Amino acid sequence: MPNVAKGVAASAQAIPLPLAHTGKGEEERELVRLAQNGTEAAFEELIRRHQRRVYALVRSILRRREDVEDVAQQVFLKVFVSIKRFDLRAAFSTWLYKITVNECWDYLRKKKVRPLVYEADLSEEQVSRLDGIITADRPPEGPAERAEVKELLDWMLAKLPEQDARLLVLKEMEGFSVHELAEILDLNVNTVKVRLFRARGRLMDVYRRRKSSAMASGPSPAPEKGKAENL
Amino acid sequence: MNDEFKSSACPEFEPLLEDHLSGELGGAEAARLAEHLKTCAGCRTACEFVTPIARLLAVAEPTTDPGPGFAHIVMARIREEQARHGAPKTIWQPFVSLAWRFAATAALAAVVLLAYDTSSNKRAQEDIAVLLADEPHDLAQDAHTRIHNRDQVLLMMAESNNGKQ
Repeated sequence: MPNVAKGVAASAQAIPLPLAHTGKGEEERELVRLAQNGTEAAFEELIRRHQRRVYALVRSILRRREDVEDVAQQVFLKVFVSIKRFDLRAAFSTWLYKITVNECWDYLRKKKVRPLVYEADLSEEQVSRLDGIITADRPPEGPAERAEVKELLDWMLAKLPEQDARLLVLKEMEGFSVHELAEILDLNVNTVKVRLFRARGRLMDVYRRRKSSAMASGPSPAPEKGKAENL
Repeated sequence: MNDEFKSSACPEFEPLLEDHLSGELGGAEAARLAEHLKTCAGCRTACEFVTPIARLLAVAEPTTDPGPGFAHIVMARIREEQARHGAPKTIWQPFVSLAWRFAATAALAAVVLLAYDTSSNKRAQEDIAVLLADEPHDLAQDAHTRIHNRDQVLLMMAESNNGKQ
């Protein structure tokens, strides 16, 4: 029995789950079929398999950590209610991520929340830290420095148009493929590629302009962590 | 928000440049792009401009997994929802039982009335039979004057009394 099947069977507490001994795709389809027939353990396994990416997708759209968990849970509740209507012709993951995107739009519409706005500019020290990574290819050392660079990158991404930032985050950080992004966001594959290429250019442009303004004005306060604006 | 950047690359080569930056370009397409870059300064400049940002993006780590507790919480919420939808709506429960009581009382009353009506009809039929047995032959000589119910008997008796007076 494969590991996954063992795990599911264990969590099912002696409920037999006849998972196929075939590829990962077929195994997932089997899990979906079992979930459609009401096997809770199979649905729980589907959650475990996809929770990180759903979480990442919600986070890339909402950008507000405090709302991410609640919306991600809501996504899986909706999936549970409508899983019987899923016809297994498409990949389960694509269907799940589309539901995730729609749930995020609904949430933003209901809450009337704008994405994070970073108020302060980068300090000279922060720019030089970024410079070390970008031009000198000196990766950050230790978790504290990595966390700081991540925060600076978040600051830069917040300066981009929302869709650009989302595409870059999902592709470069979260590991979504161009084809997955095209399906989830209902875009042509080439359109995704062009937008990604231009988003990289815009991000570089943000960095260059911050660098030149930081060098010209001297030290400035650290970027204030985002505040979401309620409309 | 910044959207001042204008790509200097040829639009038809931008998808290939993106594949190239992602390390996903190979074979004939890679050769085609390399050939194009030799002669197109715009595409070369755009490619050189965006290449360093990949180092910064590579530093960022993916979102961490929310952990096994997440699936447990979701399943608990699902069970909670199912229990809420499966259980009777308690707010209506008193009204529903009261309605059942009314229905039962009405049914009992209907049965009693029906029984009473049936027994009184039976008694009337018996009275008619007795009266018919005592009826004078000249009152019911043919089929046209045959008595069918108690009212006709009473009417005929009244008429015959009048005749005697």
